[in-house]
Formats: sequence, structure tokens, C-alpha cells
Amino acid sequence: MAPTPDWVKQLKPSGSQGSELLVAERAKSDIPVQKLHELLLTKEVIERKQRILAILKSEKVFDKSQNYFSGRMERFERALAREKKLQLLKRKHKWTLDEFRTASELVGEPGPYGLHESMFRITIAGQGTPEQQEKFGKAAEAYKIIGCYAQTELGHGSNVRGLETTATWNSQDKTFTIHSPHLTASKWWIGSLGRTANYACVMAQLIVEGKSYGPHPFIVQIRDMKTHEPLENVHVGDIGPKFGYNTMDNGFLLFNNVKVPHENMLARFSQVDPKTNKYVRHGSPSLIYGTLTWVRSTIVMQAGSVLARGVTIATRYCAIRRQFQDRDAPEWEKGENAVLNYTMVQIRLLPLLAATFALHFTGKGMMNLYQENQKRMNQTNTSRESNKRGAGPEETESGSDILADLHATSCGLKALSSTIAAEGLEVCRRACGGHGYSSFSGIGPWYSDYLPTTTWEGDNYMLTQQVARYLLKSARAVLKNPTPTNDTTRILSHFQSRVNIGCAFDILGSDEDIVAAFAWRASFLTFEALKHRDEQKKPWNDLLVDFYRLSKAHSQYLVIKNFYDVLRSGEIAQSTSPPLRTILLKLFQLFALHTLEQEGSEFYVSGACSKHQIMLARTSAVMNLLKEIRPHAVRLVDSWGFDDWVLDSSLGREDGKVYEDMFYRASELNPLNKVTVDPYPESEVLFKKVEGGYGKSKL
Amino acid sequence: MPDFTDHLKPRYNGAATLQAERNGSAICVDELSQHLLSRDCFLERQEKIVEVLSQEKLFNKSQQLGLSRVDRYHLGLARAKAIQRIARRQGWDHDDCMMAEYLNDEMSPYHLHMTMFVTTIREQASQQQKQHWMPRILNYDIIGCYAQGELSHGSNVRGLETVAKWDPVNNEFEIHSPYLTASKWWNGSLGRTATHAIVVAQLLVPKQQHGKPSDSLEAGYENHGPQTFIVPIREQRTHQPLQGIVVGDIGPKYGYASMDNGYMLFDHFRVPKSALLTRYAEVSDETGALVRRGHPAVVYGSLTFVRGQIIMHARLVLARAVTVAVRYCAVRRQFRYRDSTAASGACTELQVLDYPTGRIRILPLLATTFALHYTGEYMDDLYSRSREAIESGDFGPLAELHSASSGLKSLSTTLVADGIETCRRAMRGHGFGGGSGLVGLNAEYLSKPTVEGDNWMITQQVVAYLIKKMTAVVQSPTASPQDPTDELFQSFLKRRLHRKPQSVFDPHGHLDDQAIVDVFKWRTADLSYRAYQARLVEKNLWTRLMIQLHNLSRAYSEQILVTNFHTALHSTAGSLSSPTPDVLRTCFRLFALYTLSNSSSSFLLTDSVLRSTLTMLDDSILELMTELRPHAVKLVDSWAIPDFLLNSALGRYHGKVYEELFNMAHRKNPLNKVTFNPDWRSEEIVLGSGDQGRHILAKL
Ligand SMILES: Cc1cc2nc3c(=O)[nH]c(=O)nc-3n(C[C@H](O)[C@H](O)[C@H](O)COP(=O)(O)OP(=O)(O)OC[C@H]3O[C@@H](n4cnc5c(N)ncnc54)[C@H](O)[C@@H]3O)c2cc1C
Ligand SMILES: Cc1cc2nc3c(=O)[nH]c(=O)nc-3n(C[C@H](O)[C@H](O)[C@H](O)COP(=O)(O)OP(=O)(O)OC[C@H]3O[C@@H](n4cnc5c(N)ncnc54)[C@H](O)[C@@H]3O)c2cc1C
Repeated sequence: MAPTPDWVKQLKPSGSQGSELLVAERAKSDIPVQKLHELLLTKEVIERKQRILAILKSEKVFDKSQNYFSGRMERFERALAREKKLQLLKRKHKWTLDEFRTASELVGEPGPYGLHESMFRITIAGQGTPEQQEKFGKAAEAYKIIGCYAQTELGHGSNVRGLETTATWNSQDKTFTIHSPHLTASKWWIGSLGRTANYACVMAQLIVEGKSYGPHPFIVQIRDMKTHEPLENVHVGDIGPKFGYNTMDNGFLLFNNVKVPHENMLARFSQVDPKTNKYVRHGSPSLIYGTLTWVRSTIVMQAGSVLARGVTIATRYCAIRRQFQDRDAPEWEKGENAVLNYTMVQIRLLPLLAATFALHFTGKGMMNLYQENQKRMNQTNTSRESNKRGAGPEETESGSDILADLHATSCGLKALSSTIAAEGLEVCRRACGGHGYSSFSGIGPWYSDYLPTTTWEGDNYMLTQQVARYLLKSARAVLKNPTPTNDTTRILSHFQSRVNIGCAFDILGSDEDIVAAFAWRASFLTFEALKHRDEQKKPWNDLLVDFYRLSKAHSQYLVIKNFYDVLRSGEIAQSTSPPLRTILLKLFQLFALHTLEQEGSEFYVSGACSKHQIMLARTSAVMNLLKEIRPHAVRLVDSWGFDDWVLDSSLGREDGKVYEDMFYRASELNPLNKVTVDPYPESEVLFKKVEGGYGKSKL
Repeated sequence: MPDFTDHLKPRYNGAATLQAERNGSAICVDELSQHLLSRDCFLERQEKIVEVLSQEKLFNKSQQLGLSRVDRYHLGLARAKAIQRIARRQGWDHDDCMMAEYLNDEMSPYHLHMTMFVTTIREQASQQQKQHWMPRILNYDIIGCYAQGELSHGSNVRGLETVAKWDPVNNEFEIHSPYLTASKWWNGSLGRTATHAIVVAQLLVPKQQHGKPSDSLEAGYENHGPQTFIVPIREQRTHQPLQGIVVGDIGPKYGYASMDNGYMLFDHFRVPKSALLTRYAEVSDETGALVRRGHPAVVYGSLTFVRGQIIMHARLVLARAVTVAVRYCAVRRQFRYRDSTAASGACTELQVLDYPTGRIRILPLLATTFALHYTGEYMDDLYSRSREAIESGDFGPLAELHSASSGLKSLSTTLVADGIETCRRAMRGHGFGGGSGLVGLNAEYLSKPTVEGDNWMITQQVVAYLIKKMTAVVQSPTASPQDPTDELFQSFLKRRLHRKPQSVFDPHGHLDDQAIVDVFKWRTADLSYRAYQARLVEKNLWTRLMIQLHNLSRAYSEQILVTNFHTALHSTAGSLSSPTPDVLRTCFRLFALYTLSNSSSSFLLTDSVLRSTLTMLDDSILELMTELRPHAVKLVDSWAIPDFLLNSALGRYHGKVYEELFNMAHRKNPLNKVTFNPDWRSEEIVLGSGDQGRHILAKL
């Protein structure tokens, strides 16, 4: 393509420039951006991010300019190069684990070492004996072996008990034979397996003397350490392109009677005694309570910032984008209206903006609660509790303590928050109109990489069954003994004591009443479900939809409650000025009332609200809140503090140069514009000239 | 290369499962297919073209998902050309070519040439202009695109910044882009392919002596608003941009990888007088003023038509997603039944389609395909019946349809875009994989809520119309009604003060179909009345009402879908052989109740339904899904989506899900031909290449 002519270089966007518009937006509000930024992330994290970002930006391999243009192969190659560089930098700068994680997060794409770093090493550490940790764990840490975690199969994902891969104990030579009896036994989706790993932690059905003992973990070498070719009778590869995650080599894996030594079964919790050939169990491997709760709080918190990225882009762009004059604008008023001034756009973006804070503070609130109670528990009782807490939520006594409650309910919250984030990102993309469809919006690719979060660690639809099961147990407990022992039994028991009298919540006048109304509705649904299950004896599966709703209602209550509690906490009181607190409270109200109004009929049917209240929430309260929050929108997203390098978006640039950047990327970075085509159908020539050459067609 | 995997079989036999499903329902698939798809010989045409395309190697879709943008366009252009060459060889007509594009299932770089470009010439060019351009267009001597949208303006056409200044001395127009944001943007086929463009620009004509003062962009000129020009943009032989034009491709997108959406800027670019399309407006030779003639009714007519087509297309797209989801979720098994006792011997796992949480995501969407169908058909019929009247400028019965079409476009494309995602997610892990066939579909279709009128923005058209209607009825409540809306509003006003909320169940607890239709109507009328009150009586600002109005548009459009579906049960669908009419009735009820349940607050707040209806809804929906479940596979079969189009391992007709998935991953995946060096200490990426990662850096 000819170089950009001067007359084009001199062109400017029409009207007010994007940069001026954002300056004006920022001038409309007095929110202390830096303060809020620190409140969200802490000074320490902010400093760490900046330091590491500077390092990454100076390395050519992290240059993002071609990310959106490349094919799968190129993206994967580049991702591998980036992973290698990160390892190099980690050693060079002696990064701590936190620093390394920050770096990965800033690079922002799933990388081929991902599962080695996480699940492979965690499983060895958690389920290996000290000797196994010495042998495999050390080698993994030093990257002498590179591993992955191979659980899911072509035929089974959620149902781990249904896995088909077998590991049969051979008593003669004290080995296990790993085998795939069916095509559907093929491991599938396994991150880092496709092209990268030379070892795998394989979950297989253990069979000893003809008897099956369920899935167990085995460390299996799959590729030659030198040639990196698959070992004999191991069949492994990448599963192909996906909706997202294309920088990761998710793989498949089949075994044709492959033998591994006795020591390769991870044996911390169970093993086959090589002398007696008997299966011995030393305990239960289910993840320790705390870890899971912690992981889920992180997912909830992360959902806030994941969504914030989309909201930042859409809010800044919609503040700059002008389209039409307001219908009621007076004659003399010239010029078009920023689309962010249309309530039609506000109703899509501002509740999501509120949600970013709601999710963030909820995650944080959960962590605080967890830590406090952990401390308290350790003080009162150092020995007894911690080790024995192996059981899943089903087996615990409901209402026994606050941590158990947190654990059981957090999985519903994980489901809710990742759904809000994923769906919210798509709403943000669409709110940007046509330009949202461009990769340069930065939202689409981000969404596709985030989506699997709604799938793994328990499908969101299935997790809700766990929550429901727990809530039903709690309700039964409350019917037997109304003295509350934790928050769930507290709200259930309160509801139970008032159900015949009814309630009157002033949702439009009192924030506390909003929280109470959410509690009421969740409790109502719990007892309804209980009636269906215990009195009407409906089959479990017939109730799945009810359970889904119930879990959603309860999780929404948790978000509302946590958000509210955090806002009233000492920490917020100390670190924020009254005007900032006011705006945070408004965000709370918007999130709460918008949710309430969306779920209006449930609130009405449960008796928590009257029709009139719902109507007022919809047509008046929410509308007023939109208006009040609107001037602060840009500063509120600023306070999330995303660096332009991270956003990688023309629309979301901090300086507002939307159009200049769109044009620059399209005309200067775009390899398609190096091609001159022959457009006429009768000619078989396709590309008649390509600057810099073009490889053969890849069909 | 043969290996031990060649002999492995899946644990459960997918083909047998689907066969059993098909045996379990008595629906006559062929008959239902004919009922749905006989219009314009769709089925025969589809069969004919699939036959041809599936034999051409170029149309093999197995590799496209992994390709880079440049490669995708390259492939897209190759296919576009091939379709034209085949068409000539086989004597295909326009509809055949459109079918080929539909089956090829990616945006063709010729797409705009075959649609907007030729339509604009046909509708807006004078006879003389048509005689000049049409043969060249039909022969592909020139290749066109439609350049309306700009970097800063899409929805608001009046705000376009490109100008065309009339120069009476040289008898020419000067097309110019005064700002960067005047750059044309998003225009399909413009980036690399087109030789000509329809350019929409603000027409500036020198002010008349006696002219009134005006708000022209430039002193001395009067602005006549956006007008349509045909402009050559690239040199015929070299295909390089003409002097004074900068044009290129706008880069990668969420979907549309094969299409070269473009940008374009003009530097005082001159075109002859004949460039302005003059059927409706012309610069007069004598006075130099702009003369308008006639009302461009055809343009509105064809907009209505296009929106009708969008709905007809939407139903097929949704049918495709649902086909994949239903077939896969029938084959997929996960977990034994929870409440089953060991004695009942349930040793196989449950089909995912039998979990209510699976059903509730998929079966209402299956019902939605039919809902969209009957409304699409209704619009199509009405349009063809009133075509002549429209040509002569008489809107007649089309007035309402035209307004309704904006709301329906918005609703149906939103339902379908979201529906594809719901289906994809219901399949969880495998839905995320390229083998689902929904990755590309999702990416392409997500443009639809934005193009041809942004889904949020255009709902304002329909509510403006409804408010106008309500105002008229309030003013003269007994005037004889012009259309069903008038009737509805009149009866609403009569009953407004004494009607009680209604149940959709009869006293025995059975569903009452007429009552269902009635509550949807009541909600529409009530919301229309409130909108009228808020805007005209209380004089609220438009922007404050927008959200409320958007909800009204949705309610109105939902009511149209429900009503047309209900009507069809008694007319066309009623004569199908048993049990199809009953199954379709179940679909109708499921669609209606599911919709009702999703917007239950709105039904409640308008006093359309009783509280008891809401509490009975969930059980009723579960029952309907149980009734529908045995027919699910045959219902999707009836949509007759060929495997070639599905391009999905999960959704293939024969049900060999796992064999296909494995085949795609193992045998057709180029990444598996490369061995990488995974050791971070070495900068080499491809093992044995000896390249220390240099070629990666070279591209950055
Ligand atoms: C990008 C990506 C990376 C991954 N990485 C790894 C990895 O590194 N290692 C690994 O081992 N796995 C990995 N996985 C696999 C992941 O853990 C599984 O996809 C997940 O467990 C879901 O299982 P599934 O896909 O088989 O869904 P299925 O279990 O087949 O579910 C299909 C549908 O059935 C429904 N369903 C199933 N059972 C029930 C029930 N009892 N009640 C109600 N509804 C039900 C579900 O809701 C869902 O809609 C990855 C997946 C993805 C997408
Ligand atoms: C894939 C694709 C292909 C295209 N092909 C072509 C083509 O071939 N030729 C061509 O000329 N154009 C083309 N376009 C452009 C397309 O027509 C516009 O993108 C579309 O009209 C939307 O306009 P916009 O992008 O300006 O959105 P905007 O109008 O800027 O919308 C931004 C946001 O503001 C909201 N909004 C805007 N106005 C109002 C209002 N008055 N009230 C309330 N809310 C409002 C919208 O809902 C949206 O959320 C294409 C676009 C895409 C994505």
C-alpha cells in the first residue's frame, strides 16, 4: 500500500476531540481517582503492577500489535515464546510468586505453561508423598519435566466417577497399566497437553484384582525428553481451534496399555500395597475447605475486574461517541449528544459499572470474613478443627459454623459472579454499536478467553445444585431448632418467625431494608423448594430449575449483603471522604434496585415488595440513580486504573483518541492492506500483488 | 497414518441413540419440512447446491477456523469467485447464488455487490442510469459496495460528514472528506475488493440568489442532506485506488473474517454529474437547484422486505444452533439418575437433554424457531400482496408492518444472537471447541443486532408509531378501526377501568390458548397507554422514557410473535398429519409461557395476569417440556439443515459425535504437524528449526 498521503495525515476528527471530551468528563466529577484506585487494589499491588508492566513493555516479544491479526499457529508459537521469556525474566528479576502471577495476568493470554504452573504442580504437592514431591515436584519446579492435569475425557467432564481411562495393577511386576478402552476415554481439553507437556498427571480408574476403586492420579511420561515425540503407544495432540483460548494447546491423549512403575501413583491419600496387593486408604483427598473458599473469593473478586475492563472501554467510548441530537433539545442547541447521555445506553452500562464494585467488594468481604473466622477458630481450638475438615458440604452439619456456611454458599456466588461478568462483557461490546464488533474494541477477544470460567471448576448450572442442597439442609435444621448459628440460618429463621405476619420493607427509603428484602425472597424460595422436595416428594431432577433460581436468589442476596457490609465497614469509613462514600452508596443502590426490579415478580410473589414499590423502583428510583451517577462514570472507571497496554483497545484509550487509533491500526498495522487483489470472478488470480510477499494458501 | 486409535469406538453409540430418538416420535419429518421450507423452492434449491459445493475441495470448511485474517480473506475471495464461475457453468440464477453463499456460510467479498449495491442502483437510479450500470453489474465488469457508514456516524445518517459539492461551472460534484471521522468505515467489500462504491454524502449546492438562509456546512452553499452517488474508486487494470482516494480494510473483527469491511477518504475527488442517482432528486440544468420528485416509497418498502428477510434468516440460524444442541445433548450422557434405585438397574447414564436445566435452555429456543417462522411468513405474505401498491407509492396495509418491522428485527436478532450463545454454553466444554460449529456462527451472527439498525436504537421507531396510534384512539375512541392495533387500543380504553387481571389457565387448570394471546395483547396496550400518558400528558423527556419505551417495543413484538403463531395453529399448521399439529401447539404454549415467565414483572405490573398464573407457570413449563421432549430430535430434523452447513462434529445428522470430534482434532489439525521445543531455556520454538525465535520477533 502506498504510504499514507499528507492530506490524510493532516485530517482530524470532527467537532470536539476525544481527548477534550474526556477531560471535560473528568472535570464534571470530583471523585478522587487515585484514592479509589488504592482502595480497590492497595498501594502495594499498584506499585508492583507498574514495576512489572515497565519490564514487559520493554520486551519486544510482548508487543501486542499483531495479536488480533494472526492465525492459530502463529498465536500459539508466539504464546510459547512469551512463556519462555517470562521464565527468563522471573529468574533474572528474582520475582516472587505474586510478582510472577502479576506478570502473567498483565500479559493477559492463557499460555502453554499454564497448567504446568498450576494444576500439575499443585496436584503433586497436594497428593504426592514426600518422596514423590521430592522426585516429581522438584523436577517440575525446575522445568526438567513439563506437565499438565489430565482429568476430563471426550465422554465425561462433570461426572468424574464416569471416567473411562483405566489403571490396572499388575501384581507380578508391580506396575500399573494405563489404558484407554474406548474412543471416549480419550483425555480431552487438557491445557498444555497438546504440544507442550512431556508429562501428565492422569486421572484413571484404579483396578486392583478385578475390583474398581474409582479415579486416582498417576504421573505418566508421555513424550520423549529429547525428541519431544510421543512415546510408543501414547497418542497425543492438540484438539484444534476454539472459541477462545487459542494461545493454549488444549490436548487429547490416548494410551494403548502403557506401563508405569508403582511409585507413579500419587499416594498421599491412598495406595496399592506392593506386598499385599491390597488397596489402602489413608484419608480423603478432597480439597481442604479453606483453599476452595479462598479460590472462589478470588474468582468473585476477579469477576469484578474482568468486567471492569469491558465497562471501562464502553464507558469511555460512549462518552466520546456522539450520535443524533436529543429529541427534546432546544432549537438553538447545536451538536450531537454523547450516547452515554441516552438512558438507553446508561441502563446497559451503569448497572454493570455498579456490578464491578459489588463483585469486587463481595469477594473482598468474603476474604475478610474467612480470615477473621479462621483466626478466631485457631485461637479457640488449635488442634481439632483444621485437619478434619475434609468433607464436602453435603456431609457437614448444617449451620454448624460460619466457615462451613461460607464454603457452601460461595460456589453459588462463583457461578453468579462469573455469569454476570461474562454476560456483562457482551453487553458492553454491543453498547459500543458497530465499533464494538471490531477486534480493536478489545472486548470480544477478552470475552472469549474469559468464558471458560463459567465452565470449569464446576459448571455454573451444576454448582447451583450444591447450594440448593445446602440451603434445604439448613431449612430443615431451622425447622427443628430455630436458633441461628450462621448467616444462612439467621435469615431463614427470621423469615420463619415472621412468615405468617408478613413483612414491610421500605426498599426505596432504607438501604438496610433492601438487604432484608433480598434475604426475605431467598428464604421464601428456600422454604418453597423444601415444600416441593419434602412434602410433595418431587424427584430431585424435576426441581433443578427451582434450585437454579433459588441459588441465584441466595447468591444475589450475598452480593447485596456483602457490598453493603463493606460500605459500612470501618475500613471504608477511614479511607474515604463523605462524597466518595455517597457515590459508592449510590452504586450499591443502583445495583440492588436494578436487580430487584429485574427479578420483580419473585419479590412480589414472596411478599417482600408490593407492585407499587417495584413500579417505583423501575420508573423512578433507578432512573434517578442513573442520572446521579452519570457525571461520575468516567472517573469511576478511571479508578480501576487499567493501563492502555493492558486494555489493548482503540475505543477504551485513556486519552480518548479513539478515532485516530482506529485509523492507525487499520491503515498502518493491518497486513491485509499490503495485498492488491484481482477482484473479477473470471480470473483465477486472487492476490496479484503482495508487499513483502505472501506464503502459499494454507488450505 | 494408521495407529492404534483407528479401532477405538465410543463407549455409547451415538448413532443408535439418535435412531432411537427418531423412532420415538411419529412426526412426519418430510411433511413438516415442506410445510416450513417449501417457499421459493427452498428445499430443492438447497439440495441442488449442497450437492455441487460439497464436491468442490475449495468449499471444505475443516481448516478455516485456525487461519489468520489474511488467509481467511484469501480463501473467502477464492470461494466468492468460484461460486460465480460455477454459477455460469451450471446456469444458476440469483437465488441459487444467494443459496450458495448461505451454505458456504461466510460473508462473501462479493456480498454487497449482490445485495445493497445492485438494489440501490435498481431503486434509486434513473432509467438511463440503470441502462448504463445494470449490465456491467450483472456481468461483474465492475464490483460494488455500499459506503454509507462513517468512522463517527453509523446510526445517524443525517450526521454524515462526507460532502459532495456541486460545481455548476464544470458540471461536476466534488466529493471530499473534511475530517478524519468523515472516513467511510465498516463498508463491506470496500477494503480490498470493490471497484465502485455507492457513496452517501451531504449534497451541497450553491445558494440561490433568492434562497432562504440555511445552516449549510459552508457559507454560500445549501445543504440538501445525504444523497446517493455512484463513484469509481479503483483503477480497472491495476486495481489501485484512484488519485485522491485513500481506501483500505479496517482490520480484524469479532467475525466476518472473510469480508473486507473497509474505510475510505476523499481529497476533493471529482465525479461527473451523472454520478448522482437521480430517480428521486436531480440538480436542475436550468436553475442549478435541487429538484425532488416523488416519495421514495420503494426504499421503505424494500427496507420492510429486508427486515422480513432478516427474520426468515434468523429462524434458520437459530434452528441451526438448536439442531446442534438437541442432537448433541441427546447423545451426551453424564451421571446416573439421582433418585433411581439400584434395583431399577439404570446402568447407563442420563442423557443431558433429560436434565430440566438442560431442557430449559434448549427446548424454549426450539419453540422459538417456529414462532419466528410464522411471523416471518406473515410479513413475507403481506409484503408480496401489497407490492404493487407500494411501487405506486401507496403504503396501505404496509404502514403498520413497516413500523412493526423495526421492533421485530430488534427482537428476533436479539433472541437468536443470545440463543446461539445459550446453546453453545449448554454444551459446556465441547461447545467451546471448534467442533461445535457454533464458534463461527456466533461470531458471524453477533453483527446482526447492530447492522441494519442498532437493536436498541431502532425500537424508538415502533414506539413513536404506537404513541401516535394511541393518541388518535384516545382522541376519537369510536372511529372505525384501520388495523388490529386500533381495535386493540379501542377495546383497551373501553375495558381499562374495570378489567381484572386474568389467568391463562381455565378453571380445571388447563391452558387456555386464547387467554394467552389476550394477556400478551393487554400488556402491549397497557404499556402503550402508559407511554402515551408519560410522553403526551405528563410531558416527560424522551430520553427519560427510553427504557420504558424499549420495553414497550419488546412487548409489542412478542405479542406479534405469539398472535401469529396462534393463528397459524388453526390455519396452515392445522392440516398437517397427526401428531404434528399437537406438537406445534405445545411449541406455541412453551414459547408463550417461557416468554411470559421471562418478563413476568412486566405482565404483573400491567395487571395483565393474576398472581396465581405466575406461581403455576414453572410447573406448566416443565410439563410442556416433557411433552415436547420425545419429538425434539425430529423437530430439529424438520428444519433440514444439511451437515455441510452445520459444519459441526456435535450436530451431525448421524450422531457420530465422538468419532467426528476425534477426527477433526487428530487428523485435520495442522498444529499437530509441528513439534515444538517446550524448554524455556532454549529460545527455539519449533524443535529442530535452529531459529532462536527470530521469525516471531521479525513479525512484531
Ligand atoms: C478452555 C478449557 C480448558 C480446560 N482445561 C482442562 C484441563 O486442563 N484439565 C482437565 O481435566 N479439564 C479441562 N477442561 C475441561 C473442563 O473441566 C470440562 O469441560 C468441565 O468439567 C465440564 O465438563 P463437560 O464439558 O464434559 O460438560 P458435561 O458434563 O458434558 O455437561 C454438559 C451439559 O450437561 C449438564 N449436566 C451434566 N450433568 C448434569 C447434572 N447432573 N445435572 C444437571 N445438568 C447436568 C451441564 O450443565 C451441561 O450443560 C477444560 C475445558 C475448557 C473449555
Ligand atoms: C459487520 C458490519 C458490517 C457493516 N457493513 C456496512 C456496510 O456495508 N455499509 C455501511 O454503510 N455500513 C456498514 N456497517 C455500519 C453499520 O451500519 C453501523 O455500525 C450501524 O448502523 C450502527 O451504527 P454505529 O456503529 O454508528 O452505532 P452508534 O449509533 O454509534 O451506537 C452506539 C451506541 O449508542 C446507542 N445509540 C445511538 N443512537 C441512539 C439514540 N438516538 N438513542 C439511544 N441510543 C442510541 C446505540 O444503541 C449503541 O449502543 C457495518 C457494521 C458492521 C458491524
